[in-house]
Amino acid sequence: MKLNILWMYHDLMDLYGDKGNIQVLKTRCEKRGIDVTVDTCGIGEARTIEDYDIFFLGGGADREQSLIFEDLLSRRAGIEQAMKSGTAFLLICGGYQMFGKYYKDQDGKTVPCLDFFDYYTEASDRDHRCIGNIAIEVTMDHETFNAVGFENHGGQTRGVTTPLGRVLKGHGNEYQSAFEGFVNDQVAATYMHGPLLPKNPRIADLVLMRGLRRNYGTVTLSELDDTFETRARETMLGRMGIKKQSE
Amino acid sequence: MDIRLRLVKRIHSILAGAGRGGSLPGVLALKMDPKFIEKMQMPEHVILVSGTNGKTTTSNLIAESLRQSGMKVVNNHRGDNLNVGIATTLAANCDDRFHVIGDAVVLEVDELTLYRQFHALHPTALVITNFFRDQLDRAGEMETIIRKMIELVKDFEGDLILNGDDPNVLRLGDAAEKARVHYFSVNETLRSRTISDEAGEGKFCPRCGRPLSYSYYQYSHIGRFHCPYDGFGEIKPDLTVTNVDFDNASFEAQGKTYHSFVNSIYGVYNCASVLCLMNVMGRDVSAADTVFRNYVLKEGRNEVFQLSRPCTINLIKNPTGANEVMKFILGQPGDKNICIFLNDNDQDGHDVSWIWDAHFERLNDPSVKTIICSGTRPYDMALRLKYEGLEDRVMVIENARDAIRWLDEANLESHVISTYTALHSTRAVLRKQEGSRHK
Repeated sequence: MKLNILWMYHDLMDLYGDKGNIQVLKTRCEKRGIDVTVDTCGIGEARTIEDYDIFFLGGGADREQSLIFEDLLSRRAGIEQAMKSGTAFLLICGGYQMFGKYYKDQDGKTVPCLDFFDYYTEASDRDHRCIGNIAIEVTMDHETFNAVGFENHGGQTRGVTTPLGRVLKGHGNEYQSAFEGFVNDQVAATYMHGPLLPKNPRIADLVLMRGLRRNYGTVTLSELDDTFETRARETMLGRMGIKKQSE
Repeated sequence: MDIRLRLVKRIHSILAGAGRGGSLPGVLALKMDPKFIEKMQMPEHVILVSGTNGKTTTSNLIAESLRQSGMKVVNNHRGDNLNVGIATTLAANCDDRFHVIGDAVVLEVDELTLYRQFHALHPTALVITNFFRDQLDRAGEMETIIRKMIELVKDFEGDLILNGDDPNVLRLGDAAEKARVHYFSVNETLRSRTISDEAGEGKFCPRCGRPLSYSYYQYSHIGRFHCPYDGFGEIKPDLTVTNVDFDNASFEAQGKTYHSFVNSIYGVYNCASVLCLMNVMGRDVSAADTVFRNYVLKEGRNEVFQLSRPCTINLIKNPTGANEVMKFILGQPGDKNICIFLNDNDQDGHDVSWIWDAHFERLNDPSVKTIICSGTRPYDMALRLKYEGLEDRVMVIENARDAIRWLDEANLESHVISTYTALHSTRAVLRKQEGSRHK
């Protein structure tokens, strides 16, 4: 089996170790004998997005985010084509925000985003920045399980009707909110850094299965030794006072 | 006579008499009197050292060099760089009328809290080492720190001593309207590179937003750069280091050869900033030469413990520092074991994702036999290494004593890498293990 991944703005949108997500996706393919390739895409670089099985976009600092903004908007038609063709999307933080309707900054200026989904984001004041360890109960592709990460965002994302998970500890989409992220059967979007995937290999595998689905239909992935992954996640769940659940 | 000052000084001398440091006197002082620092009558020279990496070493080198040149200097040599630490240092070194006793005060100041103390301290010189991503969750983003510092230096009327090879630091030179700006720079060395896989910051010109062009990188985003469109980065350094010789740990500046206390490019930059400042102050640079030769790095910086085989401990705080420590370790001949203590307490930063921004894949080297992960987040570290193909060489030993005992019994040269809050306790464990060996 073959799988190709497009890593958008790898040199700019790489905050809080988001590149680790790519390493996890790649390694988990290699261990299973899946022929995986990762292409990067910088500003102005020509790429046919629909040629890719997985589209990954991480978060960036404000400055970096403003630099890529125009380039990303200019690729809207290509991204839409990829959505139609069944590409799987994994979006973190700034990447998540940019797929919504708009972003309203601290000065009240509204910046239109890609407008694929109905949610929108508004900058918060200093006292409502969401920072810290977070645990959520993910529901994705009919599976329910706990995931952990680290959130650090000022943006308050509202209008999400299909969140990625229920907040067990931490903030989520808004300051002290009940839900985190956005999910549909193709796109998974979240504020969770950490990076997200090393401690949450189940999300990684679901994203891989979504990517493979385009060419191979529903595939079953072989089990991997996730001892470190499980211990790392359970350490954080335990610290946040969340009881173990049978997975 | 201020009764509160007397009380603070008394507490300090009691603690010092009992052999205890700490910033309790400063905590009390600021609690009783929030304007405690402002009340201080400072001497003629007040030198503040800030930036991300190298603050402790640089400020100590400056203080020692000025002393060597004949000045009486007050400094926070242990790196107590938050306001409570600074208040403690000043309280311990002033008379009953808040007069700080000495010719110069040299203070390492935390880059996040600098803006709170800057005016109260009446600085005459500000030395900036560099700006790297560091413990982001304490402050938001590095950009915020730089912007705040730009605000500070706008009206500053003293001497600005800036690393001319760091585009982020150069922004302060651009912003300063009244200060005398002095740059230090280090010429290309045999270890300089024309491309970099480490440069996280400084990709774009802060004036026009277009990509910067680098003729060489020293480490991370430090190097010689300029903007082809508007000339940003085309500086005339006041002090340029040339002929860095890593085989002999020496370098040249203004026609004079110096020997460095540490054989690393960041050590050379620390020395360059000291020489630049000495020139500005009109002090004899041969005083600095003596200090560079004999300076002993502080605890946890290349500190060696005699286990069954030598064990060297180094502090890491951020990706750039970690990269430099790994270069040092891999530069040592022979097989080695490594033990990494990763903590996520307040001073380390609660967010450990920075380990993914550091080049831990470099440890995937045949000379590295086993890597032990310990500290409060050992499994996060183990995962970081696992995804670099080091799975078979990684072990988690949560208990620090067991981890160090394992290193000792393995009978192989070893290196301990520790984040800030694990450093003290790990050194204690190492000392104990060393002691049990030499009984």
